[in-house]
Amino acid sequence: MLLIRPLQENDLDDLYGMAQNAGKGLTTLPADRELLQRKIERTRESFNQRCAPEAGLYLFALEETQSGKTVGISGIEARVGLEEVFYNYRLSVTVNASRELGVHVRTPTLHLSNDMTDTTEICSLLLAGGYQGGGNGLLLSRCRFMFLDDFRKHFSEKVFAEMRGVSDKDGRSPLWDALGSKFFDMEFSQADMLSGLGNKSFIAELMPKYPIYLPMLPEEARAVIGMVHDNTRPALKMLQAEGFNFNGMVDIFDGGPAVEAFVNNIRTVRESINRHAMVVNKPMNLDVPPEQRVMISNRSFRDFRVTTLPMECIGPDTVSIPREVADALLIESGDPVRLAPLKESALSPIHILKGQESEDEKILDRVRHYRNRHGQD
Amino acid sequence: MWRVRPAKLDDLQQILDLTSAQSGRLSSTLPNTQSALTKKLQQSQASFANKTDTSTPRRLLFVLEDTDTGQLAGTAGIDTRAGNGQPFYNYRRDYLIHASHELNVSRRVEVLYPSHALTDLTLLCAFTLKPDLRNTPAFELLSRARMMFIASHREWFTNRTVVEIQGIQHESGEVPFWDSLGRHFFNMDFETADQHSGQLSKTFIAELMPPNPIYVTLLSEAAQEALGEPHPLTRPNYDLLQREGFLPGCYVDIFDGGPVLEARTDTLKTVVTSQPKTLHGSEGLDGETCLISAGEAQDFRCLLTSVSETLADDVKVPVSTWRALDRSAGDRVRISPL
Repeated sequence: MLLIRPLQENDLDDLYGMAQNAGKGLTTLPADRELLQRKIERTRESFNQRCAPEAGLYLFALEETQSGKTVGISGIEARVGLEEVFYNYRLSVTVNASRELGVHVRTPTLHLSNDMTDTTEICSLLLAGGYQGGGNGLLLSRCRFMFLDDFRKHFSEKVFAEMRGVSDKDGRSPLWDALGSKFFDMEFSQADMLSGLGNKSFIAELMPKYPIYLPMLPEEARAVIGMVHDNTRPALKMLQAEGFNFNGMVDIFDGGPAVEAFVNNIRTVRESINRHAMVVNKPMNLDVPPEQRVMISNRSFRDFRVTTLPMECIGPDTVSIPREVADALLIESGDPVRLAPLKESALSPIHILKGQESEDEKILDRVRHYRNRHGQD
Repeated sequence: MWRVRPAKLDDLQQILDLTSAQSGRLSSTLPNTQSALTKKLQQSQASFANKTDTSTPRRLLFVLEDTDTGQLAGTAGIDTRAGNGQPFYNYRRDYLIHASHELNVSRRVEVLYPSHALTDLTLLCAFTLKPDLRNTPAFELLSRARMMFIASHREWFTNRTVVEIQGIQHESGEVPFWDSLGRHFFNMDFETADQHSGQLSKTFIAELMPPNPIYVTLLSEAAQEALGEPHPLTRPNYDLLQREGFLPGCYVDIFDGGPVLEARTDTLKTVVTSQPKTLHGSEGLDGETCLISAGEAQDFRCLLTSVSETLADDVKVPVSTWRALDRSAGDRVRISPL
């Protein structure tokens, strides 16, 4: 069984192995033991609520329960730009027009911006080789929206993700070569690595503060602004399916886009439903295709757990949960759980069930109303 | 004999012939259409005629004339207030230090800031000379006659004087600085923009020019090389003006990146070395060649003459010079050595 849980102390070795295999480009998770150790510590502090809510870093591990091995990681940074300065370029348009001469020129322009400051970022998604596919990436990414949804007061109303921009197989970024390198004499891969080690705002301080008029950059550089790396395309598609859209911000190094969504508009959030757990002891075939599975979370802040179940387990009020799954989720019969579809499909049963739920709720309301009026409880 | 005098409306056709015969663009502030030039000449005449009000902008135009034939061979101008009541645009070359203590990096970044700082300063402009006179004393006469005029009408001019020198333009007509910067925003070729700049109000520059500073490192290499460089053909003028006391400062032209020379008006060589004298006759033509000028406003004349002897307040020059100056013995003149 694959289980989402908060990152723990003993995940360091697995995490380091994954980061080493990931290669360049994953700036939020560099293969640096000390840095990873610090991230784990911050995560522990955050889940245990020993730090200010806005300083929280929530990293989730995807654990293969049989082996106890961590095979994936994803995260939420509660607020960006609080300690260091968070920079983006805002892609906007400057219009210069002369009525007298009949000239009207639109110039795409990059403005240095700190607009994402104080916003929640979803970050650090990484899945170990051999575990790709089968909905594992979806679980790893979407479990975060279940967490955001249940604990909204810890996060901003809007969340965003920075997508990796275009670079070639040698790690050269056309935008960095045309812009960043002119101000900071360094290869992109090196700057990228430095920023992963927490030096990004230092480098940003060396970058141009005045607007950059795009026609002054070479064609290759202009072409990659707002574009994602080929390897990031699936992640972008997944976020777009969740309702994330390009917000006009691009990375100051490689031009990769930022995408954002309001939490209440995120598809996983909108399509979530609540049920009570009903632990069943009869064996159940859990191995069904991703489109027939739902994510189930235990709604616990400190011991947040998510795994998947076949859709057919969902009943009108309860969800049938095999014993071993209930144990993994740290729940007992009667505990509240939250469900959301793992994979988007045109018309999943969970929609219909949600409709029923609201009908059920109406009936229950009517019952309560009736009882109250008749002094019964 | 070569003589510099204020331009008259009658000079229209000859000036038009001069400008159309120019190879390449050598003076951006002199219009090349009949109507625009007529306006310019009228403006100049009115500027010379206005003897009282020193605060309104004047646009003075002088011509170089062969007194024997009446043929014109060049023009030179002074705008007493650059911009003539409108903003005068330049880029100011400046530097920022981008430094990071944490990364132990410090880097000098060159930036071009849009500037109006030279607005309302005295501007030398509209210099045109027949190519075959470029290496003759007539060239120095035409250029420095303006400084003689400034010396004798000092109150018309500001404390600082500037000159825009034409920037790099390739044989093929390409202007690298323009192609790397202005073209993107003005959406027109250099010639068109340059013509507009000479003839239209400067509003179009305000409307079309990028409002923010420009990082030099993002310009093309050719544009970076052209920044602050004079066009090879302007080199004699560039050198002459530097001998006169002008120095390249931090300002460049917004279109072609050519340098702007600056000087304190009171320290210009001609202003410092020229002296008022009383005119007397002399027989021969041997002696030191000097610039000599006389007359106020539209009566101003400046020419080259041999000065045989100067004693105290007196200066002896050939009688032919008197005639060309429209002066006679006992009149006040101003002389300055070449």
